Amino acid sequence: MTMVTEKDINEQIAWAKINTDVLKSMENPRPAYWVTLAVCIAMVACAVLAEYIQYTVGMGTANLNNPHMWDMYIAAFVFWIGMSHSGTLLSAILHLIHADWRKPIYRFAEAMTTFSLLTAGIFPMIHLGRVWNLYWVLPYVSDRGIWPNFRSPLVWDAFAITTYLTASMLFLFVGMIPDLAICRDNTTGWRKKLYGILALGWVGSDRQWRHFRKIYLLMACFLIPLAVSVHSIVSADFAMSIMPGWHITSFPPYFVAGALYSGCAAIITLFILLRYFFRFEDYMTLPIMEKTAKLTFAIAMVWTYLNLIEFASVWYGHDVYNKELLIAKATGAYAWIFWTMLFCGSILPFALAFRKLRRHMPTMFVVSLFLNLGMFFERWMIVAPTLSMSQEPHQWDIMYGSIIEWAIVFGSFGWFGMLFLIFVKVFPSVSMYEVKEMVFHRKLSAGEEDLARMTDHAKPVTQTTGGGGA
Amino acid sequence: MMGLFGDFEEAHDAIADIRRNEVPGLTVDDVTMTSPIEHPEVEEVLGERPVHIQKFTLFGAIFGVVFGFIFLAAAQASFLVQPQGGKPVIALPSNFVLVYEMLIFFAVWLTFFSFIFLSGLLKKRSSLYSEKVSLDQVAIIVEIDESIGESVKGLFEKHKVLEIREEAIR
Amino acid sequence: MSLDNILNHWSDYRKGSEEGGHHDYEHRWAMAINLDLCIGCNACSTACYAENNLAVVGKEKFEKGQAMHWMRIERYWDQQELEHPEQGASFLPMMCQQCGAATCEPVCPVAATYHTPDGLNAQVYNRCIGSRYCSNNCPFRVRYFNFYSYYESSWPEPMEQQLNPDISVRDKGVMEKCTFCVQRIRTVKDKAFMEDRPVQDGEVVPACAQACPTSAIVFGDTMDEGSVVSKLWKKHQVERGVYQKTKLAKKDADLRGYRIFEELNVDPSVMYLERVREDI
Repeated sequence: MTMVTEKDINEQIAWAKINTDVLKSMENPRPAYWVTLAVCIAMVACAVLAEYIQYTVGMGTANLNNPHMWDMYIAAFVFWIGMSHSGTLLSAILHLIHADWRKPIYRFAEAMTTFSLLTAGIFPMIHLGRVWNLYWVLPYVSDRGIWPNFRSPLVWDAFAITTYLTASMLFLFVGMIPDLAICRDNTTGWRKKLYGILALGWVGSDRQWRHFRKIYLLMACFLIPLAVSVHSIVSADFAMSIMPGWHITSFPPYFVAGALYSGCAAIITLFILLRYFFRFEDYMTLPIMEKTAKLTFAIAMVWTYLNLIEFASVWYGHDVYNKELLIAKATGAYAWIFWTMLFCGSILPFALAFRKLRRHMPTMFVVSLFLNLGMFFERWMIVAPTLSMSQEPHQWDIMYGSIIEWAIVFGSFGWFGMLFLIFVKVFPSVSMYEVKEMVFHRKLSAGEEDLARMTDHAKPVTQTTGGGGA
Repeated sequence: MMGLFGDFEEAHDAIADIRRNEVPGLTVDDVTMTSPIEHPEVEEVLGERPVHIQKFTLFGAIFGVVFGFIFLAAAQASFLVQPQGGKPVIALPSNFVLVYEMLIFFAVWLTFFSFIFLSGLLKKRSSLYSEKVSLDQVAIIVEIDESIGESVKGLFEKHKVLEIREEAIR
Repeated sequence: MSLDNILNHWSDYRKGSEEGGHHDYEHRWAMAINLDLCIGCNACSTACYAENNLAVVGKEKFEKGQAMHWMRIERYWDQQELEHPEQGASFLPMMCQQCGAATCEPVCPVAATYHTPDGLNAQVYNRCIGSRYCSNNCPFRVRYFNFYSYYESSWPEPMEQQLNPDISVRDKGVMEKCTFCVQRIRTVKDKAFMEDRPVQDGEVVPACAQACPTSAIVFGDTMDEGSVVSKLWKKHQVERGVYQKTKLAKKDADLRGYRIFEELNVDPSVMYLERVREDI
């Protein structure tokens, strides 16, 4: 046999080793982990300082002005919301279609969902002129009979993000209960107390597993339409307006595709980081990386297509404002951003089509970062040029953000990184019970295959038998 | 009484034996299996045991829709100075978007709470819990009369049980 | 009970502005601005600063685009065929158009901007949380945001003595815009109410119209058939809710009236009268 399909995971891996490997990851990561965490905290500190200045002095410090009422804050908001989507893709959609290669990597992808939502949620607050009155957006019963305006897409955002955040947190938590029980059984001190509370008394009885299977399926079924609706609603912030370049019918699918795209690229980045930090080479294997990369490539092509469709419909639609804006984007002051976005978003993903590159971790790391750079530019190209060149020619303007704005956006990456790194240190970032399931089922089917091969070719193959563990 | 097995196959066969009434006075209804991973195949021998979560989900979804719409429409109808922008007071398209979110919100929370209560979580674990179950062993827990203890032990041993623990229920 | 309320008024609450909405308008304040008379002197803008406590932001912030001029004179050099095109500027006084179907209104998350029974887009400063969505969705770009707190820099002592006591000074983080001098409208309406008579045409004069040396700005109520504004609107066949296209079909040379961005169907309340060119 010359061509052997590489396995996603070694089926012979002992169950006890899975437990110890993952539990060990929570104790002693490589030193690079601590360096990254420190860098993240420093970035957050920069952002806090910048936000302090902006809060006390005013929004003008971000260089916002009359045509540019929104800028990078909203672009970053859309970016982070988008990043949260692929966690759901990986855990819910791939769960429904029984793609079990998701099992070793879905936990951190879901954590990514939750934490990028927590990051995204900060931006609407940061960008408010009077953030101390934020709660007025909530529909609470007030003795003055005042309600929020339910027609505003910003209120839809508030509803959608609340729902998505709670649902994805519950999904993450429910999926983690059996693992928390493992942690409870194998740790001491504060960790034992914490996991003991969080595991909710899980013992793994047939009754619990039966209900577990049901709730996992039900929540996955709800999360998929929810994720699609969330980014459609975010796109409604723009599509519901009257501005050229915003009022575009294809925005909801375009946003959803862009969301999955940047999320998948982020999964590749974090995949490589975790694999290195926690020595997860046995679980986050190259074949799984290849599958993720292929998925990213497919989504990149969908995104490219939707981009071209948008350009084509603007071009042939002959709406004078839209068309002028498109020309200005491609040739005006922001042209370098526009073409960088198209290069990073549509040309660079072709690197993922090569097996050699897909298997080369440093290359993948750099490529995934550039894909996300392209996606950040995409969001910025949606938000700012429309404001620079709206219907009213007297108010045309070119604007770039100030150092305050950059510091806050920069700091949001640190905030996300900090939350994420703390999470993977405190909670198991590889789903132990599901890796066991994956190994168990693959071994069963491998056993059947070997049996078939033996009878077909009368060739001695060591059949895999024996206990589930050591 | 709890028997720990090294392999799901063994536990599966042991339950199958109980199902065939090899031990008089013990039926599958008294059997609980605890395992480190999900084994849907166990229903072949344990029998179908009902799950009711989906009813709560449906209730949550319906509640979300009905409550959501009435809540929004009532708020809009009692708040006539709200911005109009040439649009009606009760604007259905925006209400549909919000009702959709509320449907999912309530459905997910009810699903979660029903899971917590229906699956018997939040209870004190009995002492018949082995940490090996969260590792790689499968346990069969049976509630039996002292009189048939020996025969159950025999049955377990036939299926290569690794360890047997007993506890008296008062 | 609110459930009763919904059921009883369902059909009323389901009406958009096309079917008359649910509003019973008392007035519909409107303007007619004759661009042929506008000489671009900026007196209207200055009067607006004085009347409405607008902050003077200074040169640096003005260049950044953070000025607070509710009323601005837009200049366009659109006569390239002249011998000296740089001398052929046209002027356009631009302020909030008080749209009938305003795009700024439905996007405000907290209902800080709403439609009054006078047909105005009111801005409730106290309710505003500064999401700035309204400004983004305004095709005229006439909403101004308090990017800073200007109280000390704009009115150093004793300048605060000249602030108009009828309206507030806005602090940072709040959106503001032209109100058609709502404080003057209020005073006149109160006075008319006390004297138990309807508001007369010409009684309400906003600061810009008052200061205009050429009387290019006419202000009034389009619900009052006899008002000057009504007559001007009718004369130039500008009607609320009617597109520009239907009017142009008549090809009458004297019809100079138009509303800006009429094709967006936002139903502005300001009619402009085109400038009469020498070469036409």
